[in-house]
Amino acid sequence: MDDANFTRLKAFFSHVDFSAIDIAHFKSLWVEKEFKQYDFITEAGSIERYFYFVLEGVQAIYILNEKGEKVVLGFSYVGSPSGVFDSFINQEPSHSFLEALKPSKLLAISLTDYQWLFENYPGFYVWGHEFFKNILFGRLHREVEILTLSAEQRYLTFMQRCPEALKVIPQKYLASYLNMKPETFSRLRSNISY
Amino acid sequence: MAKLYITPENQIQRLNGVFLKVQELQNLPFTQLTTPLDPKSWSVLEVIEHLNKSYLLYYNKLEAALQNLPDTENDPSEFKARVWQKIVIEAQRPKNGVVKWKLKTLKRFEPLLDLSQLDQGDANKVFEDFNKLHQHLKTCILESRNKELKKTKITSAIGPIVLFYLPECYEFLICHIERHMVQIEGILSGIHQ
Repeated sequence: MDDANFTRLKAFFSHVDFSAIDIAHFKSLWVEKEFKQYDFITEAGSIERYFYFVLEGVQAIYILNEKGEKVVLGFSYVGSPSGVFDSFINQEPSHSFLEALKPSKLLAISLTDYQWLFENYPGFYVWGHEFFKNILFGRLHREVEILTLSAEQRYLTFMQRCPEALKVIPQKYLASYLNMKPETFSRLRSNISY
Repeated sequence: MAKLYITPENQIQRLNGVFLKVQELQNLPFTQLTTPLDPKSWSVLEVIEHLNKSYLLYYNKLEAALQNLPDTENDPSEFKARVWQKIVIEAQRPKNGVVKWKLKTLKRFEPLLDLSQLDQGDANKVFEDFNKLHQHLKTCILESRNKELKKTKITSAIGPIVLFYLPECYEFLICHIERHMVQIEGILSGIHQ
């Protein structure tokens, strides 16, 4: 791992005191993985082997509904974590796909090494508390938006806060994430400025 | 008649489910794997061997077709099965865990294992072959996501009466596996399917 990527990881694990950590060992726990556009990073029915940190690209996590259509649950992008977390923690087959929507470079850590960090450095528990709190609040916030806002409001809210990287992925993924048809998304995109 | 839209994601998910199921089967005692419900029916191991034999008839055809197909720059997308192919596929697909259409197995698909001569090593080999062959099927599905799928057709194992585009062929093969997974459930619970 080069210094730039280590700096990004340090920023991500912001609650961890890295002065107390064996940096060479910490770096050795992470493996860089590359994926081409539309590669499956994790397949439904397989077990997630890694917790990822995104260096490049955009990834979508989705499940298939009864009709076999993709229902997008979320995205990951530069600087964010990625992976199918429930499958990773429980080591049970994933219900979701994780797909690279753009060529992607990710840092990956195995469950054994991830748990080792928690067991050996209490700072990771503090980080974990903040991390899961933010994920929970984010999911609650999204649930409220999906249940209470109109399609137009959902579109506007999302486009105002989403990173630039997400604005260039295929519209069908954004439409699905916002729980609307691609035609509706397309109409809103051409009619509404944000 | 409702249309059948085929996606590689759906096929991969189902195939991964099959791999997990077969992994469980592999851990069953040898006698359970090799004991049929009655002398005229198949044991679990024979069903797996039948799936291996069936897939082998497609292995080279799929390889050749994939080599000849040009790449596409388009996003991977769903594929609409044609009417006749859909009928053939649906005849294989179990509905709600039940095999609806009973089909007679052609001689060349029969497993022909001599159960009295088999040992654990032979059983392991059957499972090993299953995993190897069907990982090949999965690789084909993944590779097809970037191919111009309407540029070639392959002849089914029953002859030119059924010609498949690759996604139709994959769907047929997966439905065929799922059909036999239902049969295996029946064998293990003592029920003829």
